[in-house]
Amino acid sequence: MSFLHIHNIHKRFGETHVLKGIDIAIEKGDFLVLVGPSGCGKSTLLNMIAGLDDISEGELRLDGERINDLHPSRRDIAMVFQSYALYPSMTVAGNIGFGLEMRKVPKAERRAAVQRAAELLQIENLLDRKPGQLSGGQRQRVAMGRALVREPQLFLFDEPLSNLDAKLRVDMRTEIKQLHQRLGTTIVYVTHDQIEAMTLATRIAVMRGGELQQLGTPQAVYDDPNNLFVAGFMGSPSMNLVTARIERLGGELVARLTAGSDEVVLPVVRDRAALEAWCDREVIVGLRPEAITDPSSANRQDGVIHEAELAVDLVEPTGADLYVVTQLGGRSINARMRPGSTLEPGQRARFAFDVSRMVAFEPDSEHRIRNPETVAPSEPAVVTSIS
Amino acid sequence: MSKPPSSRGAGARERLQHWLPKLVLSPSFVLVLFFVYGFILWTSYISFSDSGMLPDYTWAGTRQWSRLWSSWTWGIALHNIWVFGLLYIVSCTLLGLLLAILLDQRIRAEGTLRTIYLYPMALSFIVTGTAWQWFLNPGLGLERTMHSLGWESFSFNWLIDANMAIYTVVIAAVWQATGFIMAMFLAGLRGIDGEMIKAAQIDGAPTWKIYLRIVIPQLRPVFLSAIVVLAHLAIKSFDLIVAMTGGGPGNATAVPATFMYSYAFSRNEMGIAAASAVFMLAVIAALIIPYLYSELREPRS
Repeated sequence: MSFLHIHNIHKRFGETHVLKGIDIAIEKGDFLVLVGPSGCGKSTLLNMIAGLDDISEGELRLDGERINDLHPSRRDIAMVFQSYALYPSMTVAGNIGFGLEMRKVPKAERRAAVQRAAELLQIENLLDRKPGQLSGGQRQRVAMGRALVREPQLFLFDEPLSNLDAKLRVDMRTEIKQLHQRLGTTIVYVTHDQIEAMTLATRIAVMRGGELQQLGTPQAVYDDPNNLFVAGFMGSPSMNLVTARIERLGGELVARLTAGSDEVVLPVVRDRAALEAWCDREVIVGLRPEAITDPSSANRQDGVIHEAELAVDLVEPTGADLYVVTQLGGRSINARMRPGSTLEPGQRARFAFDVSRMVAFEPDSEHRIRNPETVAPSEPAVVTSIS
Repeated sequence: MSKPPSSRGAGARERLQHWLPKLVLSPSFVLVLFFVYGFILWTSYISFSDSGMLPDYTWAGTRQWSRLWSSWTWGIALHNIWVFGLLYIVSCTLLGLLLAILLDQRIRAEGTLRTIYLYPMALSFIVTGTAWQWFLNPGLGLERTMHSLGWESFSFNWLIDANMAIYTVVIAAVWQATGFIMAMFLAGLRGIDGEMIKAAQIDGAPTWKIYLRIVIPQLRPVFLSAIVVLAHLAIKSFDLIVAMTGGGPGNATAVPATFMYSYAFSRNEMGIAAASAVFMLAVIAALIIPYLYSELREPRS
């Protein structure tokens, strides 16, 4: 039995069906990130785990115990809110210790626990201040201290970094990850930022429109997306998704893509068996920008490289990389090249495609076209058993 | 100077723009200066004069002031305003807060209920006073209704009881102002972050403790505003008392405002009346000026 088990959870607000049967199971010590665009139901799901929203249907189990109807304070959870939700009339120490005070922990013990939490988060010097006198990052720490001090079984984070500026957000992200590694706590974390999801999670649950799209490790979600939405949502810059025609060329299965007035023919390597059925039909193929490079930086050891010459439309240096925009399959696509290459717009250049990383999707249903043996079952509970 | 004057016409327009606001404001400024502040000074002078039925500018020193403070009725009036003001402010604040908290529980007919509670504030004090006078009048209102319904032993005659009459005024005044105070608190409650309540729930605080420890401390500015509004309403409460009890029975419900009115216009003691008026002004000023000062000067953080 998994540690946190979300089983076929539904949420209805009157006529609106907000969550349509979510199944997620994670183990103790996992860092689950619920990610998706706004309105996908991720915060509702978190509130239901916290007990702040009723569960319309389904079952919620924490460490084997059914907690559907337990009051939030009795679920052995702590939550960090987007607005931090600090109590403005109390000092930092009062804020951190409030939960213990309500649980009638003796004063001396309480003070020691608050001190420990404050040391862990390096806010000992702030204990006598009021929240109004703190900066955003400091408030964030206090909010985390309030959650940590009770040593709950499960931590819930509701977009905790979205009110911080970009620099601080990266620092706090690192710190949350360190904290998780050090304390080994189980965390459920909600965000709309897929980079946060990738960097923090041990398990990512991608949600859309009240439905779970995919549950898996960050790498699995990134490399092996279940559908077009997951492929497009995860990763920045996002995956290049273009229309291609699957054909048989001299006994080989290939994907034929238009490239301006030209054509590019890429051999099909991945999911070949499944794509046989799509011969002479159009599919959508996806290639991450880092799977399209200049020939010299192509990974010929692990990948299967196929080169083609294309026109350079635009060159975008980011310092670490050089993104080159070209036309493929009727759309502008991004290729990640070695920085410092001397490409100019209008010029023609050789592009190296790592076709072993190419994924294909059904154009209508937007589902992944995948070989049967590697199909991730639609029941996510089984996915977790892979670990 | 951002723009050099290009021509004579532009210079005139600039001068006009400079003087126009002052010109438009000056009549009302002069009127206020004369009729408000001028008469405050005039009243202050009268309180040190020998005035009786008509103003008399003979200097009398503090004679009127000592007559005021040795007056039995003035003692009753001061006592009454204390009782009335304290009960009025405390009851309105607590009841208003309670109603606001109850109304904030996401109940269905909130809009309607809020309007119902707010309506008394739309009535003038005279209407409120008259209505409550009828309602509490033993021969007309509640008591008679109860008797006609068959509850013969029912008795509620506070309105004509010299010891209790002031409390009937409190009831009417509280009835009128509570809805307004409730609206103030409701606005304050709506400004409180809902996530904070959720955090407190997860922290294990029972609802009453959430209100006591987290919500109410955040309403401090509302408390301050409510108390200042109520305090000056209490001191100004003249029309309500005139309409409801006329200061009676006897002098039982006299307050400084009715005292001032009766000494100025029916007892021909303009000097004493002026002294009481100046005293009331001083009390209100002592309340309002620090409040205005803190509201207007304090930089909003």
